[in-house]
Amino acid sequence: MRKTWILRCCLAAVALLVRSAMAQEQEKVEKSSGTPAVAARATASSPDMHNPALPKPGREAVAEERAARLEGEKRFRTNCGRCHQQPHKFPRRVMATAIRHMRVRAMITDEDMRFILRYMTQ
Amino acid sequence: MALLLTLTAFVPRALGQAAPEEEARPIPLLTGSTGFLTGFTGGQPDLHPLVTPLVLLPIGPKWLFETRATFETDLVQVPGRSGFHGGPVQKEAEYAQLDFIANPYITMTVGRFLTPFGIFNERLYPVWIRNLQSDPLILPIGIGPSNASTGAMMRGGFRVHPQCNINYAVYFSVLSTTSPVDSDRFAGGRAGIFVPKARLEIGGSFQHLLQQERSDLFGFHLIWQPTRLPLDIRGEYADSKRGSGYWIEPAYKLSQLPFLQNEMRRTQLVARYQQFFTGPLPSDSLPSVNTKQFEFGLNYYFLDGLKGSSNYGRQFSSAGNANVWTLGLTYRLVVPLGPTGSAR
Repeated sequence: MRKTWILRCCLAAVALLVRSAMAQEQEKVEKSSGTPAVAARATASSPDMHNPALPKPGREAVAEERAARLEGEKRFRTNCGRCHQQPHKFPRRVMATAIRHMRVRAMITDEDMRFILRYMTQ
Repeated sequence: MALLLTLTAFVPRALGQAAPEEEARPIPLLTGSTGFLTGFTGGQPDLHPLVTPLVLLPIGPKWLFETRATFETDLVQVPGRSGFHGGPVQKEAEYAQLDFIANPYITMTVGRFLTPFGIFNERLYPVWIRNLQSDPLILPIGIGPSNASTGAMMRGGFRVHPQCNINYAVYFSVLSTTSPVDSDRFAGGRAGIFVPKARLEIGGSFQHLLQQERSDLFGFHLIWQPTRLPLDIRGEYADSKRGSGYWIEPAYKLSQLPFLQNEMRRTQLVARYQQFFTGPLPSDSLPSVNTKQFEFGLNYYFLDGLKGSSNYGRQFSSAGNANVWTLGLTYRLVVPLGPTGSAR
């Protein structure tokens, strides 16, 4: 009898977890403006990139930022996807801890770590 | 001795180097996974709830303390009684290690760490990561009596060519007979070559046991993700005096199917074929007879971190054939233990 109650409690806890995760996911979807790929495309077609009124150093900075983001996304998919499903973005300081952990655990290179951290915190 | 000499050669240089620049200050994190797995092995059902918390504690710009524990129980049907009955909750500290990121090429680890022999134990073991919930038959080879080592390790990854990364780990473990943190006395290493363009990693593991029969163990691993297909192929081979074997596991996401795209991109088909061959010496943790096992399964990713999984397998051995069924729900949790900062 007691074990049945334990089992029911476990099932209820799992149901609650699922519900809370779904609520978090819904919140994330509402907050985010789109997927990384959409964001990259948006950057590529950004008016700033082709705006002749923008001073040249500004254009270069935008182009550099865009290139870093694309490279970060590529390295994120290549490295993280080797072992697990690619996670969503987390807040900056959470990501900084996770990437340090992955640097140790998955032995990603220093350069990859920097690109991925930058991409995941943008 | 060779490891110590290497360390003394590298560490003074490493200490003199600048700290790696990280754009945000890391905070302590409680992460890990929880799962509720239902297994039917040889027709006997058992329920297996488990929680695996992982605490990450960054210290300054170069240090990280990490520890993972598991709390789990098995609920099984007892003949003559209704319902499922289980024993006490099993608690185990799987590892507790202190990492020092000396420079871009070297990370030093001391404490109790997951033995880096092959890839499954160290990288694919958590329930939210693995594609099939059952363990490979060869998993116990080379990882020690409680999946972990007690000692020191040097590891790292670096780019040797624009199209090639190298990763390595060398370690030494001392004998510990204190259960459940027991470990064997051995030394070993693992090295891998990763080709980012082809998304291919191949590598090998070596270990020399410094007790009992003082034997050598070998292993090879492979991970390949073809760029044109949503396909992962993983495999391992391990050889020891107590047995040898291999497993290979393709997993295909149905994201390329032209219908029900929202559902299909969350659905993954998995298969695993494995064989185990007994060695000249007996082992408590490995099968006692030659065994073949085929499994296939289906995973559904509800959300980031939440996965439903099911698989069916058939085990063939001279001790008797058996079906292996598993149904489960796993969730990866991330709880920041401090202010998270805002996204830029």
